[in-house]
Amino acid sequence: MKKLAGIFIFAFCAAAFAATNELQTVADPQPLLEKLRSRMEPVKTVAMDFTQDRELNLFAEPLKSEGVMLMERPDKIRWETMSPYQTILLGDENSVAQFEFTGGKWQKLKLGFSQMLARVMQQMSAMNQGNLSAMTNDYSVSVSTNNGFVFIMVPKDEKIRQMISSLEIHLAPDLTATREVVMNEPNGDLTRITFSHEKHNVQFPARTFDQNKPLEISSVESALKNAP
Amino acid sequence: MRRKFLFLPLLLMFAGCVTHHFSPPPGLFPANAFITQRATFTARGKQFPLDGFLAMSETGGKRFVITAMMGVVVADILVKPDGKIYIMRSSQMFPEKYIRNGVARDLECIFGGADDKNCPVQMLDRKHFIVHRFGYTLDVRILDVKPGPQPAKLFDETKAAKQ
Repeated sequence: MKKLAGIFIFAFCAAAFAATNELQTVADPQPLLEKLRSRMEPVKTVAMDFTQDRELNLFAEPLKSEGVMLMERPDKIRWETMSPYQTILLGDENSVAQFEFTGGKWQKLKLGFSQMLARVMQQMSAMNQGNLSAMTNDYSVSVSTNNGFVFIMVPKDEKIRQMISSLEIHLAPDLTATREVVMNEPNGDLTRITFSHEKHNVQFPARTFDQNKPLEISSVESALKNAP
Repeated sequence: MRRKFLFLPLLLMFAGCVTHHFSPPPGLFPANAFITQRATFTARGKQFPLDGFLAMSETGGKRFVITAMMGVVVADILVKPDGKIYIMRSSQMFPEKYIRNGVARDLECIFGGADDKNCPVQMLDRKHFIVHRFGYTLDVRILDVKPGPQPAKLFDETKAAKQ
């Protein structure tokens, strides 16, 4: 169960951020980590769309899902899959909640792994604030550059590494926008999360992060429509 | 007396919905297809959302992969047309024993091929099934059915980890 928890944490941390083949490794990543933290400092909220491609060697086509990710400092997160099914995952420092749309209505799940997910959410918040150093206990972090920056995180725990070999976080050159996250597995399977329409410092309407009755995403999007 | 009368229609209604020897209506699923599903697995009062990916082949059998959050594979199973089960990948969430005795059985109940009568499946509509077992409930929704032949490599038991 611990191993599974580690994988979930690893996967979710990927989502806290959003290539080319010619990567050049940055010798000392520490200044970049500090720059990332300072660039993210003024970002109080984030809203972006995502497309997730699950590429399994077994199947010819990637398995696609789409949705939105919303974050509000210090710790609120909403990860909502809108296609091919609808599910909402909400979290903050203390708790998590998940809703599934089934039988024509939203159902709140009595979620398993809730403590683990709460920890995941804490780490996601830390990463969203550019605090990658919070992850260095569990991951070796290196940075490569091309027409942007790629933060590469390798799990220190060998058991986790047997299932997830590395995580790539692709950022824009100014470090303020997440472009893509790739979670690599030793057997060649991977999960690619591509982000778009990223907006910073938007004003979320009430109940956007409500863990009992979250506002419908259409209402959230409507409120954000004119945000820069 | 009043309670008995209330109980009787409820019992009849319930008995009418859940059959313990369910098998899918003929033609519900193509013999050769790729089928994606979303499921909620409930056990010990906790619920776990899962995704299912099933490749079906008339001659090859069924190859079924279950993923949990963020696409982590928690089970991978091959069931041959003769009923032989090959566990390709297990996990702490779904150990081999659970896959063999639970996942494989439910797979055959919903998508056809079960030869025992122990299939307590409620079919809410053509794309929604609930499996009621002692110890757990599985709520399965069919998201997409792509008819067509599936690659032979999916059903190659020589690549199976354990039989």
